[in-house]
Amino acid sequence: MYSNVDSKLAVKVDRLYKSFGNLKVLREISTEIHKGEVIAIIGPSGCGKSTFLRCLNLLEIPTSGQIYIDGVDITAPKTDIMKMRQKVGMVFQHFHLFPHMTVLENVTYAPVKVKQIAKEEAHQKGLELLEKVGLSDKADVYPSKLSGGQKQRVAIARCLAMEPEILLMDEPTSALDPEMVKEVLDVMKALAKTGITMAIVTHEMGFAREVAHRILFLDGGKVAEDVPPQEFFANPKCDRAKQFLEKML
Amino acid sequence: MKPLKLLKLQSVLAGAIAIAFCLIALSSYAQGKKTLTLATSPDYPPYEYKDTAVSGNEIIGFDIDIAKYITQELGYELKVIGMDFNGLIPALQAGRADLVMAGMTPTAERKKNVDFSDLYYEAKNTIVANKGSNFTKAEDLVAKKVGVQLGSIQQEAVKKMTGVQAIPLNKIPDIIQEIKSNRIAAGVIEDTVAAGYAAANPDLEFNTIPNTEESGSAIAFPKNSKLVPEFNRVLKQMKDSGKIKELATKWFSRPIAQETDPANTPAPSPKLGLDFGKIGPNLPYILGGIGVTLTFTLLSAFLGFLWGIVLSLFKISSIKPLAWFGNAYTSIFRGTPLILQLTLVYFATPQLTGYNISALQAGVITFFLNSGAYISETIRAGIQAVDKGQKEAAESLGVPYKQMMGDIILPQALKNILPALVNESIALLKDSALVSVIGVEDLLRRATIVGAEKYIYFEPLIFVGAIYYLMVLSLTWGANVLERRLQTSS
Repeated sequence: MYSNVDSKLAVKVDRLYKSFGNLKVLREISTEIHKGEVIAIIGPSGCGKSTFLRCLNLLEIPTSGQIYIDGVDITAPKTDIMKMRQKVGMVFQHFHLFPHMTVLENVTYAPVKVKQIAKEEAHQKGLELLEKVGLSDKADVYPSKLSGGQKQRVAIARCLAMEPEILLMDEPTSALDPEMVKEVLDVMKALAKTGITMAIVTHEMGFAREVAHRILFLDGGKVAEDVPPQEFFANPKCDRAKQFLEKML
Repeated sequence: MKPLKLLKLQSVLAGAIAIAFCLIALSSYAQGKKTLTLATSPDYPPYEYKDTAVSGNEIIGFDIDIAKYITQELGYELKVIGMDFNGLIPALQAGRADLVMAGMTPTAERKKNVDFSDLYYEAKNTIVANKGSNFTKAEDLVAKKVGVQLGSIQQEAVKKMTGVQAIPLNKIPDIIQEIKSNRIAAGVIEDTVAAGYAAANPDLEFNTIPNTEESGSAIAFPKNSKLVPEFNRVLKQMKDSGKIKELATKWFSRPIAQETDPANTPAPSPKLGLDFGKIGPNLPYILGGIGVTLTFTLLSAFLGFLWGIVLSLFKISSIKPLAWFGNAYTSIFRGTPLILQLTLVYFATPQLTGYNISALQAGVITFFLNSGAYISETIRAGIQAVDKGQKEAAESLGVPYKQMMGDIILPQALKNILPALVNESIALLKDSALVSVIGVEDLLRRATIVGAEKYIYFEPLIFVGAIYYLMVLSLTWGANVLERRLQTSS
């Protein structure tokens, strides 16, 4: 189960394949994410970036290949998936807040039920997190009363309440009205500075350039480029990346 | 690991259901050893019936007095249970009763299935028809439709009359009503029973059939019952001492239908001639049925709901045998008549398990098993209608399956399907009237018992119909309030 990988590695992906029926979505992806590293996963639609991200916490089960989180092979049959997921948080494009719970209940539910943290403590910490994402005044409101940007910030707080070591974000701003994108990006930027490991699928090139340590450019289910952002944006190597950047920028 | 968690949840629910079972079982499982259970059909005055205004819920009558006398002589306790006439012999065979007294005649056919005591009373058959029909003998009935009580000796007698079409009906009041509605030309009922109806129905004529073979009543026992000789001995004593005659006089010369003051009775109208005043004294008894019907419905709905959740989880389970079971179960319970399931559970359980299941228990079990099948489909659809992202969000937070279902998916699913669940409860409330078939004294059963006792038909039925309707209205209203409250909470 334990590999002899560097203890500084948060994630190691080894020859990952994923097919849906006959459709091969991921064709041999191998990469590493160091602790505290922020990587932006970009690429044209259908390139497999979301599928790749969802494989990292086994929302999609890989067809073959290994994924190590903190040195543990999570694709091994004996792995406790629930334990692993407590370490790996995920933020979705469409937020997926629990509509029948208030904002604060959304944030405190998992810590209380899964981590068995005392209610008062979780409550206290939940309020702190809401403060951090600028929504402490919405604690007792139901999600249906929130704007998209507010929902996504609650979703981030909900995720952070579990104190994950790794944060996966799947197009966190894609479903937002343009004027709300900034408030979410600001929260993400602040997060990146805290030293948490982040893997973000995004179309926000400005954000990727500013915040990410590395760009993972996927094309046709493979890693086409894996370079620092300065290099990627200034001097993309493959043609596909050049075309992509021309359209995006 | 997912399947394991799923199983855990299911075992918790199964445990809850098992506990509920035990509670039902305990509530009515307390019997002395020397108790004999007498099964009868208490819609046959003066042999056996309920005078709910006078003696409350107790079954009384000529047969009951005889049974009481004999069991007292022999040192037994007597317990009397009521059910439909055609369920009596199955009840003996199923070991549900030790003896049956219901003015039952020992025919050759019946003797194949049960043992009989000596005859304790012999009566004649009477033709009932509308005034002016002038049916006095069997020949007059040729080519006519003639009503008889299902499973009764009169049914056999009419079958033997050549050219007569026998129409079997469940109860004597049904026969009377069918004659009045001109759906049948006449009915054949027992002499002593007819006397009561004759007094209450001046628009009918009653003619005793002459020269037919006499039809006597005897006590029925399970095959090879050791009770037969004992009972015969006491019966002989009663005949010799004149006790039987005394009881016959007490019951058969009693002016049953004259209980209501003739001065207060309006002249019979040509139409329905409804007179709700007649059920006045029986009102507390009928209203008592609301509790029975409600208890029954709530218990069935609650257990059916839990069972429905379990079944729906089976159906969406990734474990093939569970999914298969859930689907096969639903298919069978939705594909066969409820009344058939009810009768099977009630009559087969004692034979299969040796446990003497009460009518109420059988009713609750059948209904929750049945409604569970329907509810599971609704819940399954409700679960599948919840956004897939909810499941993913819960999973990504490391929430185990049990909590995810219980705290996140089901609450949202149930809110969406609340209207469908209310519909199911309403259906259950109305279907609960089916339990009257196995003798549970719910609203409908009480209405028919009062009808039989007072020789009236429509009034008690219309009365309980209104009660059912009011109950359904309040259920709907309650659900609307709940729905609105849930709507505002999110």
